[in-house]
Amino acid sequence: MRNTWAGRAAAASLILLAGLLLLAGRFRSGGSHVLDREKVVSSFPLLKALPREICGWTAVDGDQVFGRDNIFDYMDGAGEIYLAFDFQFLFVREYVRPDAPSVVVEIYQMASSEDAFGVFTQDTDGEEADCGQEAIYAAGLLRLWKGDFFVRILADKETPEAKTVVMKMGSAVAAAIPTEGKRPKLTTALPAEGLRPKSLRYFHTLISLNTHYYLANVNILNLSPETQAVMGRYHKEGAQAHLLLVGYPSAGRAFDAYGRFVEMFLLERFVPDVPVKPKKLENGKFAGIVQKGEYLIIVLDADKKTLLDWLLKQVSMNL
Amino acid sequence: MRKKKNGSLVTRRDFIKGAALGALGIALYGKDGRPFAAPKSRSVPFAAENPQSTVVLIRDEKAIGTGDKIDPAAVQEMIDTAIKEFSGEAEVAKAWSKFFRANDTVGVKFTRCNWMRVHTEQAVIDAIVRRVEEAGVTKDRIFAQDGGLPVTKCTALINVPSVKVHTLTGIAVSLKNYINFTSQPSKYHAPSTNLGEIFLFPEVKGKTRLIVVDMLRPYFGPGPQINPLHRWNYCGVMVSNDPVAVDTVCLKICQAKRNLFRGEEWPISPPPDSIYSADKNYKLGTSDPAKIKLVKLGWEKDILI
Repeated sequence: MRNTWAGRAAAASLILLAGLLLLAGRFRSGGSHVLDREKVVSSFPLLKALPREICGWTAVDGDQVFGRDNIFDYMDGAGEIYLAFDFQFLFVREYVRPDAPSVVVEIYQMASSEDAFGVFTQDTDGEEADCGQEAIYAAGLLRLWKGDFFVRILADKETPEAKTVVMKMGSAVAAAIPTEGKRPKLTTALPAEGLRPKSLRYFHTLISLNTHYYLANVNILNLSPETQAVMGRYHKEGAQAHLLLVGYPSAGRAFDAYGRFVEMFLLERFVPDVPVKPKKLENGKFAGIVQKGEYLIIVLDADKKTLLDWLLKQVSMNL
Repeated sequence: MRKKKNGSLVTRRDFIKGAALGALGIALYGKDGRPFAAPKSRSVPFAAENPQSTVVLIRDEKAIGTGDKIDPAAVQEMIDTAIKEFSGEAEVAKAWSKFFRANDTVGVKFTRCNWMRVHTEQAVIDAIVRRVEEAGVTKDRIFAQDGGLPVTKCTALINVPSVKVHTLTGIAVSLKNYINFTSQPSKYHAPSTNLGEIFLFPEVKGKTRLIVVDMLRPYFGPGPQINPLHRWNYCGVMVSNDPVAVDTVCLKICQAKRNLFRGEEWPISPPPDSIYSADKNYKLGTSDPAKIKLVKLGWEKDILI
């Protein structure tokens, strides 16, 4: 049985590799990934929402556009996080006013509203603001998403006037985005009860998982641009836990990741068709996994086994 | 079961057990009460025969005023005091002259990250350059830069990083500050275990005489870009000659700040494997708190270590 699983896993790895090669273009969208920047700027639908002047702040000449090919020119050392989503391009405009902090507007065009939401969930610390579909403001920084766009507006320093400009700008951009987008469908499978506020995360790949929750230095779960993952923290009846739900393109791919998790993280022998029992780990907390079709439901760092069992059951019912 | 021959696999459980990154791993993902070495003697360079590194941490609450305005005089005073302590000299000039001679060509490698905005403060750079000049090095042989610093020309380097928790490398302090000395920075991100390799490049190796860390306003957030909510006025400067020890101390402080901010454990993620690797693989210094002599001077409130 073990050999069978190992063989399946090896075959799946090859299929996965081939899939990744085929998908190399998916996160580049549209054949050539080198942007015609002038064309992007001239046809950018949100351009008209951005004033040349606002409350004494004026736009610096030379709007900038960065694509997947040169995002590192803008943020060397963090571009990987955006490339881990289906990021299309970034539009940047800076506003300045004498004796006042500069304000930078960044508009990220994503390929889908799901990925706009995903980038938004990367950092959710701050106060909720009434802007776009969801927004968070913190000390001069406004982050929002609406439709396929993720928007980030930052004042170099927070002042009452700068905050006003940041919020006005955010409202103007959000109003110019014609339609709202959908949150990832997978998020609906997470139980609302016990979910800690602002703890929901959505992503695709290992690099994102490891910024939220370090599982391992290798891709145990075979995460890829094709996979969708949602993660949340739960607090219920005095116990806490992390819940990770991963959707794969097929049940076979989920099965292979299931086996890898059991053997490489739980350190148990994987026997197909035999359910894996939750395990108490070295820190006294519990971890467990269940496969349901093309989904893996994983609970980590559960203070109590009852919470782990409840989460696995609830998500199974919701899928 | 996991194949033991697969030495590249490291999971969260290895950190919890203390089987990965040693004391660092336990500090991030387990419970660690391992103390730093007590300050007994003056500093000497880290070496196999003297496996203890000295880190001088100094703080002054007046270094940052209203509106986060930096006070250059207070910064200068902190750096001078820390260098005196580190060198064991009572006078500022003698202290600096222990590290630099008039015929040196000195690179002052600071951090300037326009998109992240957690720079080395200009007051820190100016204070260092001033003292190097006073040590007899002429202006034309002092290169205070981030990118483009002509490291090959330099006979001595001063590593002057800012402090930030980093989305890809865990933390960015003195080890990551030299990433500009390579033409392929992304090669040293995620994983970042090979960051220490840069210190062994022929044009870099053996040139770092001092590390002066700008700990005035560190960053402890998840990134990838700055959230001002995750920056705080620590009002500190750190001096050492061991990049591994410096990064270890900064890691502990940032981890403590994160836990304080959330009111619960909020492990830095991904774990900064570059620190442990720089210790064990590249032998650049020590990440073992028991081998780090931490000297704390000045303002003690909320020191976090």
